[in-house]
Amino acid sequence: MSSGKAKIWEEEQDAGGGGGVDELLAVLGYKVKCSEMNDVADKLEQLEMVMGAAPNLLCDTVHYNPSDLSGWLQSMLSELNNPPNTLNYRMLQSHHIDDPLHVRAESSSVTTNPQQQQFETTQSARIYDDDSEYDLRAIPGSAAYPQTQDGELNRKRLKTSGGSNSAPPLLPSSSPIVGVAAAGTVSEPTRSIVLVDSHETGVQLVHTLMACAEAVQQDNLKLADALVKRVELLAASQAGAMGKVATYFAEALARRIYKIYPQDCLDASSSDILQMHFYETCPYLKFAHFTANQAILEAFATASKVHVIDFGLKQGMQWPALIQALALRPGGPPAFRLTGIGPPQADNMDALQQVGWKLAQLAEAIGVEFQFRGFVANSLADIDPSMVDVRPDEAVAVNSVFELHPMLARPGAIDKVLSSIKSMKPKIFTIVEQEANHNGPFFVERFNEALHYYSSLFDSLEGSGLVPPTQDLLMSEVYLGEQICNVVASDGADRVERHETLTQWRARMGMAGFEPVHLGSNAFRQASMLLALFAGGNGYRVEENNGCLMLGWHTRPLIATSAWQLIVSDSP
Amino acid sequence: MIMVGHRPRPSPPHEAMQQKKAEDTDQKRPKFFINDHVDILIEILKHLDGPSLCVASCVCRLWCTIARNDSLWEHLCFRHVSSPAPSTVRPVVVALGGYKRLYMVCVRPVLSRLGHSDRVRRRVWTREVVQLSLSLFCVDYYERRLGDASASSLMFLCKPVNV
Repeated sequence: MSSGKAKIWEEEQDAGGGGGVDELLAVLGYKVKCSEMNDVADKLEQLEMVMGAAPNLLCDTVHYNPSDLSGWLQSMLSELNNPPNTLNYRMLQSHHIDDPLHVRAESSSVTTNPQQQQFETTQSARIYDDDSEYDLRAIPGSAAYPQTQDGELNRKRLKTSGGSNSAPPLLPSSSPIVGVAAAGTVSEPTRSIVLVDSHETGVQLVHTLMACAEAVQQDNLKLADALVKRVELLAASQAGAMGKVATYFAEALARRIYKIYPQDCLDASSSDILQMHFYETCPYLKFAHFTANQAILEAFATASKVHVIDFGLKQGMQWPALIQALALRPGGPPAFRLTGIGPPQADNMDALQQVGWKLAQLAEAIGVEFQFRGFVANSLADIDPSMVDVRPDEAVAVNSVFELHPMLARPGAIDKVLSSIKSMKPKIFTIVEQEANHNGPFFVERFNEALHYYSSLFDSLEGSGLVPPTQDLLMSEVYLGEQICNVVASDGADRVERHETLTQWRARMGMAGFEPVHLGSNAFRQASMLLALFAGGNGYRVEENNGCLMLGWHTRPLIATSAWQLIVSDSP
Repeated sequence: MIMVGHRPRPSPPHEAMQQKKAEDTDQKRPKFFINDHVDILIEILKHLDGPSLCVASCVCRLWCTIARNDSLWEHLCFRHVSSPAPSTVRPVVVALGGYKRLYMVCVRPVLSRLGHSDRVRRRVWTREVVQLSLSLFCVDYYERRLGDASASSLMFLCKPVNV
């Protein structure tokens, strides 16, 4: 009976799964016979010892069949034990290639459990089987496409999973993976196996994204589609800010490729909520409010009646601090009027009035005379200066936080807005805008600019050290993701996130008849202090730029506050 | 001589006189009981920092009442500021929630964070620290009024800092 059973078992093994292969490995694409498992384990151990002993050794083996784990292990071992002399040592000189080898040599996970090892390799073993029809040569720098003559082998391109930085990258499972550093140095038709760690994945991610944008611009949608899928895979394995940014960009690119234009942008109240979360997580909006308020306060130093016109009232978070500062002004508070402008809200017709009411309660509590008026407008260009009711005896301030750049979407709108502002005769006009050029005429340059900008922004969110990520953090990411989608996927009048740099705004303001008002050292000090309070405060930088203040993350300025007044004409 | 529970029996006059003399000498040695001197107590408590003041408020009812007095916290908030705060500040702070709250929610975390940060010079910023704290305090008040029970705008002050 027992022999009969054994036979059945053998038959089952032979019948199922391709000749008695280990099932778990088969799921990952490796065909290792169950009978050979011990053998494979031994070979892996040997390989590890060999590579650990001589970490500078690279193997020139060409692998034709990535699923035959046992086969290529054997070929690698035989080669390594008889070292060939065609190694490309230049590839070894880049430091990061050495590291993974070292790390791997120390780890014991490779030998003890070949199954576990395979789990850490990406599942791309199966997925890349049919990408031969896509010409990946487009990816610049041979980051993804090493310059060798052997096209057939490049069909299967795998890379080890970046995963988290703590997991050491493991043995590559098939055809060559050429690190970016090797680009250009591989001139001979030999193949070398180089391990790729997650830093490499990050760089490849950027390159692939940029290549995809190029493809989109050239209208090569087939290639773009392949690249965008690749990006999504790479991004999934990349932990941290880079992965998140890449995911958002990939989604936006996909929308552009498939022409799924975002039909309706988020309605105003949802976008307000997202902005509130962004306000709470990171200092950008607080910086904007505090610096603009300081400029307004200084302009209002002696006025007894003041009128602030806010182009985007939202939740009114900017104004409590100003009201409080006015209350404590030496000489007592002035009479304070606030005109708040906002978009129509579908569900809440009185949103502006509610905010005004709350601000009024605050003002009453601390003893500042306060009046509020709210205007609903689809676009700032629709505002008629006469509606705003500027009175002759009051000092006027106009405030715009991230509200000017959408005006660039329609021709003539920005000029209309600026001339309306001029007719209000403001004592000061404060502008806060993103410091980036996302309004260039060519898609690729916009894309690359946006990629760098939002990478820094996401990096700074990550630097806030919130682990586990709070809802605020996640919402902030969604908020930024919406912007990314608009920059990349929309066009024409829909593309409202038309950020421009301070230099560009300066030119525009100069031509419109405004001259700069310098933000003083008070504002600078207050901003520096504010930033010092935030976790990750060492990453934020306040810079003064010709009287304007810029807040950035490490070396990259991200938002800029500037203040303007009408050019005082010489003629009386 | 230990009296347990009950009143001493009325002793004959001679012994009573002796007893009273003994008590007098005891009383002549002044027993200083701090709770009898509230003004001194307040002066001493003024020198404590925030956490110590909170601990002090657990000592007894009198101390608790005194420690709750906002003027102690006002003193704490402005302790390091060279010039006294203008008189207009107090009604504003009181309206926004009081000095104790200002200290606990804003001044203390701000001071401790800035103490860690090496980018901001120490001496110069004390008045500006108070100004910044007041602004943040006002934002906090407003956010609570907005109906957001979790008023998280100042949560960044509560989170541990990566210094």
